[in-house]
Amino acid sequence: MPPDKIISVENVTKYYGKAIGVRDISFDVQEGEIFGFLGPNGAGKTTTIRLLLDLLRPTSGLLKLFGMNVSAHSFQIRKKCGYLPGEFTALSNLTGLEFFRLLSGLRQSHDKPNHDFLDRFGLSKQILHRKIRHLSHGTIQKLGIIQALMNDPELLILDEPTTGLDPLMQEVFYELLLERQNNGCTIFFSSHILMEVERLCSHVAIIKNGEIVGREVMADLKNKAERIIEITLSHPVADLKLPNAILKNSNGLTYTFAVDGGIEGLLTGLAKLPVADISISKPGLENLFMKYYTDTEND
Amino acid sequence: MINSTYPGLVWKTNKGFTIFSMFFIVFMQFLILYIITTIDTTSIITSILSQLPEKVRIFINDSFLSTLTFDGAAAFGLNHPTVIAIVAIAAINIPVRHISREIEDGTMELLLSHPFKRTSLIFKLWISGSLILLVIAVTGFLSSVFAIQIFHDLTTTIGWRLAQICINFWLLFMVIMSYTLLIATASKAGSFAGNLSAGITLMLYLLFFIGQLWDAIAFLKPYSIFTYFQPQKLMFGQGDFWGDILVLFCVALVCFAGSIWFFNRRDIP
Repeated sequence: MPPDKIISVENVTKYYGKAIGVRDISFDVQEGEIFGFLGPNGAGKTTTIRLLLDLLRPTSGLLKLFGMNVSAHSFQIRKKCGYLPGEFTALSNLTGLEFFRLLSGLRQSHDKPNHDFLDRFGLSKQILHRKIRHLSHGTIQKLGIIQALMNDPELLILDEPTTGLDPLMQEVFYELLLERQNNGCTIFFSSHILMEVERLCSHVAIIKNGEIVGREVMADLKNKAERIIEITLSHPVADLKLPNAILKNSNGLTYTFAVDGGIEGLLTGLAKLPVADISISKPGLENLFMKYYTDTEND
Repeated sequence: MINSTYPGLVWKTNKGFTIFSMFFIVFMQFLILYIITTIDTTSIITSILSQLPEKVRIFINDSFLSTLTFDGAAAFGLNHPTVIAIVAIAAINIPVRHISREIEDGTMELLLSHPFKRTSLIFKLWISGSLILLVIAVTGFLSSVFAIQIFHDLTTTIGWRLAQICINFWLLFMVIMSYTLLIATASKAGSFAGNLSAGITLMLYLLFFIGQLWDAIAFLKPYSIFTYFQPQKLMFGQGDFWGDILVLFCVALVCFAGSIWFFNRRDIP
């Protein structure tokens, strides 16, 4: 079977004793996608990632990577993956260079960290010769990112990858991810930062209390997201109403609406009004994600 | 290059305490043999022993009085409680550091996310740990040989018996390392494995000694690994060298196999 589905998770449940890790989760990730996995702390993001890498064994359900069963072909799968754990901790008694050598040794490859990556993250030879325990949290995170990218993986699994990176380095990281995607790499990452998910991901899944509460294509999500429209009319209109829009406030002839969902109906409605000026804000996903989180909380 | 391999990592992590253990054994061997050759310890100890109950006297005679001869002292250097304690710490530390602590601090997750089989990890750890303990045992052997050569006279028979003691010594600590590995692979992360293993080692050590003094529990002696490590007896040609090493090797092997079984089935949290 051509592995166009790089990740396939079918009805996976994981219990830790009596406590639930994830319950009956299912999703797919296609080749070349950047897939965002979102959820609050303790929702089950890291559990899902560890299940994908065969670090945890599912209580029930089936996980496939590259079309292969994770528990039966874990070794072959891990050859094709790069992984950055959440709260990344390297082996602190090694230097950065020794750390990279060890990981290459485990892969029985002679891959060295790409000099271009090292330069872009500002990791000089001096830094690489220092013991990891003497490095800052941000620098250790950079080592983590580079080790994940080092063997040119077909699938990158990243657990909250930008933790500890300054905004400049976050920017470098985003560029690297997009380059990897252009080279055909599939990227699965969990994050709290909605801005980076919005910027990078083509698909997202939202997990809460161990259950997937939403699976969305980012473009559709943006269409669903609430827009704020401000219109100024040339003269007053009685009983002003717009499709899909809720009047938030008004000031003289200026009205502010929150528009939920598509804007086709809204544009038709606007065409009938004496609009003197209009501004439409870019849709923000924050409210939408918050809605996912809080909606299920109220269930 | 050794640094780029897992055994290289094991050596690098345990190098400090291994070197300390090696120096300690050398120091103890030279100190004990120096004391035996320069001070008349026999009359002092014999006068103290004469005041003890018969049972205790027989036990001490077996375990310690033989050390009053030069050969016995050389064997005692590798059976001294402080040497046993230090090398036991080294043996317990290896699996605890590389299994329990690495699971706890997340580095195990990183290692196993690479194409590195769990069986391979346990095998390499066990072999690396065995080699580290072998280095300590060989140091014990060489320091005994040199100390005897310096203070006394080394014969082929003493050399061979010292070699037997060192193999026996090595296998004893292989067993301690192996059951610690078994506990570490089967238990949760943290200090539990180390504490439990240290407790078991102490209990087995006490069982062996108390078993010699107290007939009611003498039947438990075969269950203590220390029963299969009696350097003084080996030095005087009274021990069952092949029987002892066979028992110790089998126990180590069973624990190693159990470790692989548990580690392949467990979650890495």
